[in-house]
Amino acid sequence: MTDNELIKLILQGERDKFRIFVERYQQMIFRTCMGFVHNREDADDLTQDVFIQAYQSLPDFKMESAFSTWLYRIAVNASLNKIRKSRKTNFFQLIGSFLGGSNQEASLVSASDPDNPEAILIKEEHSQWLRDALDSLPENQRTAIVLSKYDDLPQREIARIMNITEGAVEALLQRAKKNLREKLSAGKEKKL
Amino acid sequence: MFLTIKSQLKMNCKLCQENLDAYREGSLPAGIMTQVESHLETCDSCRRVLKIQLLADRVIGVEKDAEPDPFLATRVMAGIENLENAGMEKVTPFPGLLRPAFIGLSIAAAVLFGIFLGNLSRPAYEAGKIPVELALINDASLESVDLLSLE
Repeated sequence: MTDNELIKLILQGERDKFRIFVERYQQMIFRTCMGFVHNREDADDLTQDVFIQAYQSLPDFKMESAFSTWLYRIAVNASLNKIRKSRKTNFFQLIGSFLGGSNQEASLVSASDPDNPEAILIKEEHSQWLRDALDSLPENQRTAIVLSKYDDLPQREIARIMNITEGAVEALLQRAKKNLREKLSAGKEKKL
Repeated sequence: MFLTIKSQLKMNCKLCQENLDAYREGSLPAGIMTQVESHLETCDSCRRVLKIQLLADRVIGVEKDAEPDPFLATRVMAGIENLENAGMEKVTPFPGLLRPAFIGLSIAAAVLFGIFLGNLSRPAYEAGKIPVELALINDASLESVDLLSLE
């Protein structure tokens, strides 16, 4: 059964058919959410919110784009909203850790081995700075890189989701990669 | 063309690092691929940048391989059911455009009722009229307070 056929049935009142959509797209949406929040529990909650939001907005879906494209847009917007909210929370956590004298930095330096990246990966906290580099990108660059790296989407599809041209996606990806390269290299000097 | 021009340049750290993404993806033309490889063999700095990028790929790979909650679909359907039940329980007598009008009328009625209640408790001296009994009292026939104090 195609997505559009399913949508018609759901709009006619067959609510249970929406489960098929969830099972069909949950992995894809979960992966996108993971790219933004880097945490399984948060990604699960976010994926759930995305599908509920999609169900509520289904009468507004014009079928002008693919259902998956529309779903990706909801996922990206929900993820960015979640990040904006958690950024405010993190600010207060940062103040708390500053006042409490966090020694995370020291543990990162002492535990790492410059010639063995695998050793760095052993502990979850050691890959945190890589995620920080990704999270520090501007929202549009971050969206483009998540859709490209996590979802392996072609630039044409990313352009549709972000509602920009393919050329703009290409430029965003180039800038994002350059920024990441610089941030990772700077981080390397500091952490390794 | 850009790559062709680049391939004619001598490979340095900047060029090498710019090409590392394509190098990791294996999408570099053979000539540049060889130059990047030979540069990496001799340059510690670029080799370390490559290691960092490979590590970043690995971290992304780990996150990509994560599986969602196996009960996610059940959770979503339960969430939808709860929402719909909540929507059915919440029956509004004034839907859509009538709601702002109803709210406005309610506020106006509350203000008028408040004014009415305020008038009910207004003191007698503000009423404006003097009772008949008080009006008939002749002040001249009343005893002076001074007389009372002399006793």
